[in-house]
Amino acid sequence: MNELVNDLLKQLNCETVFTIYPFGIKIPVAESVVVTWIIMAVMVLASIILTKNLKVEKPGKAQVFLESAISWMYHFFEESLGKNGKRYIPYMITIMLYIGVANLIGLFGFKSPTKDLNVTAALALMSIVLIEYAGIHQKGVKKWVKGFAEPIAIIAPINVLEIFIRPLSLCMRLFGNVLGSFVIMELLKLVVPLFVPIIFSLYFDIFDGLIQAYVFVFLTSLFIKEAIETE
Amino acid sequence: MSVVALGAGIAVLTGIGAGIGIGIATSKAVEAIARQPEAEGKINKALLLGCALAEATAIYGFVIALLIIILLK
Repeated sequence: MNELVNDLLKQLNCETVFTIYPFGIKIPVAESVVVTWIIMAVMVLASIILTKNLKVEKPGKAQVFLESAISWMYHFFEESLGKNGKRYIPYMITIMLYIGVANLIGLFGFKSPTKDLNVTAALALMSIVLIEYAGIHQKGVKKWVKGFAEPIAIIAPINVLEIFIRPLSLCMRLFGNVLGSFVIMELLKLVVPLFVPIIFSLYFDIFDGLIQAYVFVFLTSLFIKEAIETE
Repeated sequence: MSVVALGAGIAVLTGIGAGIGIGIATSKAVEAIARQPEAEGKINKALLLGCALAEATAIYGFVIALLIIILLK
């Protein structure tokens, strides 16, 4: 039991890989940041390679696949963001791709960044800032403030509380899911080391990771839609 | 240690609610798809959203259980 707890603690702890000193300020760089850089490098390379030889006539297989994937995501977000939210689609697609790759990268032996609470907290903060910004941008400051007192003034405190509850639940949902599937997989590997984990890994690592990426951006886009709704 | 394990076990009991909730949601979704197969896309979307929200309680329980084990070890 103690050994397992210590092992889990070690896995949970995001180690500092190295420390940089710009302008005399000490900034520790955590493992999740380094893995995020790797993800960025892979995604940038992939997008450069995939968009290199785009043709209008006689597109290749890769281009057809790319076009259908992007248009699927575009339509999905267009539907959930509404007519006024089109400008937020590229951001949502970026976040979706990042979380999806981050959840899957554990399969390649890296520590997934989403298993670090700081990363999910940062993602949730970005989401809530974007949600409130979208509301202000669409309605203007006056109407945005008034929006807290809808439908009746008495529930205004609850509406204000929601600003804090939403990112908390987004952050905890992503973190808890990734961590939960990780813990279950570790326990399973402890009990049955052979073959059985492969099947469960399909569900817990691949399916659950992609579903969580989907759920995170889906909820964010729903909140944005709610924020920019005008009668 | 044993009391800590007990506490963690109790915290994880939140999973019961999430399980029942997701079960009900899925059964209703299956019924809805059987009645109106052409609306499957929309139903799936709503189901996924509902499941994600219902699942959150179980996740909170799990996080609390983990915190109990790690902090009170």
